[in-house]
Amino acid sequence: MKSLTVIAGAGFVAAAAFILLVPTWNRPPYTTEEIAVPANDQFQPVATGYALNKAPPPLPAVDLGGPSATATYKNVHVLTDVSAAEFMRLQYAITAWVSPKQGCAFCHEGTDWASDAKPQKAAARIMLQMTRHLNADWSRHVAPSGMTCYTCHRGQPVPGQSWFPDAPEPAHVLAGDQDNWQESGDTVRKFFPDNGFAEYFLDDQPIAVISTSPIHNGTIGSWPEANRIYEMMMQMSDGIGVNCGYCHQSRAFQDWNQSSPYRWNAWYAIRMTRDLNRHFLLPIAAILPQSRKLIHETQIPVMPVRMKGLQTGEGLVVCATCHFGLPQPLNGANMLQDYPGLAPAHAPAADPATHADATAAPAPG
Amino acid sequence: MARFHTLFTSIEVAAPFEVPWPPPMSPPGGRVLREPRHSVWLGRLGETQVGPTHLGILAILSIVCGFIAFEIIGLNMWASVDWNLLRFIKMLPFLALEPPSAKQGLSILPPLHDGGWWLLAGFFLTTSILLWWARMYSRAVALGMGTHVAWAFASAIWLYLVLGFFRPILVGSWSEAVPFGIVPHLNWTATFSVRYGNLFYNPFHMLSIVFLYGSTMLFTMHAGTILSTARYGSERETREIVDPGSASERGSLFWRWTMGFNANFDSIHKWAYWFALLTTLTGGIGILMTGTVVDNWYLWGVEHGIAPDYAPLQPIPSAPPPGALDVKGPHLGGATASGDTVQ
Repeated sequence: MKSLTVIAGAGFVAAAAFILLVPTWNRPPYTTEEIAVPANDQFQPVATGYALNKAPPPLPAVDLGGPSATATYKNVHVLTDVSAAEFMRLQYAITAWVSPKQGCAFCHEGTDWASDAKPQKAAARIMLQMTRHLNADWSRHVAPSGMTCYTCHRGQPVPGQSWFPDAPEPAHVLAGDQDNWQESGDTVRKFFPDNGFAEYFLDDQPIAVISTSPIHNGTIGSWPEANRIYEMMMQMSDGIGVNCGYCHQSRAFQDWNQSSPYRWNAWYAIRMTRDLNRHFLLPIAAILPQSRKLIHETQIPVMPVRMKGLQTGEGLVVCATCHFGLPQPLNGANMLQDYPGLAPAHAPAADPATHADATAAPAPG
Repeated sequence: MARFHTLFTSIEVAAPFEVPWPPPMSPPGGRVLREPRHSVWLGRLGETQVGPTHLGILAILSIVCGFIAFEIIGLNMWASVDWNLLRFIKMLPFLALEPPSAKQGLSILPPLHDGGWWLLAGFFLTTSILLWWARMYSRAVALGMGTHVAWAFASAIWLYLVLGFFRPILVGSWSEAVPFGIVPHLNWTATFSVRYGNLFYNPFHMLSIVFLYGSTMLFTMHAGTILSTARYGSERETREIVDPGSASERGSLFWRWTMGFNANFDSIHKWAYWFALLTTLTGGIGILMTGTVVDNWYLWGVEHGIAPDYAPLQPIPSAPPPGALDVKGPHLGGATASGDTVQ
């Protein structure tokens, strides 16, 4: 009995030490800020974000006039409206933002700068189109700071907070089916299943499950739907470093009249994310098939630690991909103003449907 | 006498074992699991004598069924991490045995991988719990006691059955039931509240919370009263019920002084008993009405005057209302809806 007591006591102490020391705790006093009109009475803890939330200093400015890029360089398709000097400055910036270790050779074949031999170069072109499209047509969500390559890449060829859909589980014959809980993360929410994201970040699945009738009338959304929406919303909450009350009134999640203005921001963000994933990220998946392989293979040199394991499909955009745990990526630093080449007046994607997404009247959901 | 006035039991009596008093501890069909012995450390918390433990047919069946349920749940979880022990330990908070998917409805024989194991685990766990209830009941009867403990236990079983059995049947799908698993069942709870328009507006949920918190308050009020009057003999609490002495009188006067009203050594136990029992009884009623009678508790509360009506509920607007994005919050950085390119 005595040794049993000692063992049990040691167990309790070990468990207590684990609970105290292993997770990341927030210590009081909590810093909060008022985020909406007083009637809404909503306060939020100030988000601290993930790593790398500091914008790098801009490269020295160059002549925006002078000969154009198209006149000076061959095979220029996207950055057709900038000067040659600004074009080259942007090339240096992109290298520092996306492939600082790999250098120019990450996209370019030898010194033949015009060559389209590497699929990474085609991917970079699509990414430039995407960035210009975002800054020109999705200002509802990204203005005024806009976004650059660094917003997502932060010095890594594969953005560290991309969402990689898991390989479909092999069909079980006997053991119970499982949700794809993640196996790493520094918050509980990072462990949540993400295989429902496709419904909301690729497809137009309405995000509405709560009944608007007090009495049961059969209009309430299904249980799996509620579960998927919960997981998706927790991703959003964790990805931008806020809790539910940032956008919603917890007494009535569904009611726009009681929501904060940020909910509109998020509403546009969801449509924007669908646009990006369908029209830019999926095409890249088609030309960069090597990233479907295992992480320890060398085709993708820098893979974030979180993405160990078999990845199928391509990295897609979710909230955290740009936000890195902050309500405004990079705390709202405006890097775009130093790189006018990434902010054209208007830049629809090649697919006309893309532009329709950005301008269509909002539909319910 | 003042030595009773401590936070743990400091007086332990080393005496001969309390001998079984008729009715016999070993009725037909049962046997004594373990001969009694003394434990100093358990004596610090409760009573030094450990055992005899009664092991009848009900207990044996209950333990067997509980073990089967435990194994079904645990082995399914272990299988889901490919029988990797390290992953099993690491992922244990997130592993689950999920109920059948929605397409299985109320089928009692879904495929094993799609909720079949969940139904089996639920069957054995429920059987185990009900057998344990019968054991509590029959042991109380055998000792000539009242069956109060069994009925309080039954109230908890009621809530358990509502969550996993009665409510899924009423809404027509096992998929509505709670998964087995630590974080999965917490997510189920959070989603349940959000989906049904905030469970805090459910009056039976309110009652359940009142009784739950009330139970803890009554518990500490009563225990504090008894401990603080121990020097006047309140440890002989039950005798004071029929023969109130100084401890009872001082305890009662204390509460009359501080709050003007008091329970007595008898009625306080009825307060505590009913508060505890009603916690799960009202909670079960609240869950049973959710999704069967009421779909949105907040709107129900607005309709019945228990929640403020902030604005008439609109269908989701087709565009931001004028000025909705013109609020200059710190994170909007002064950005407004006007002047961008989205028409």
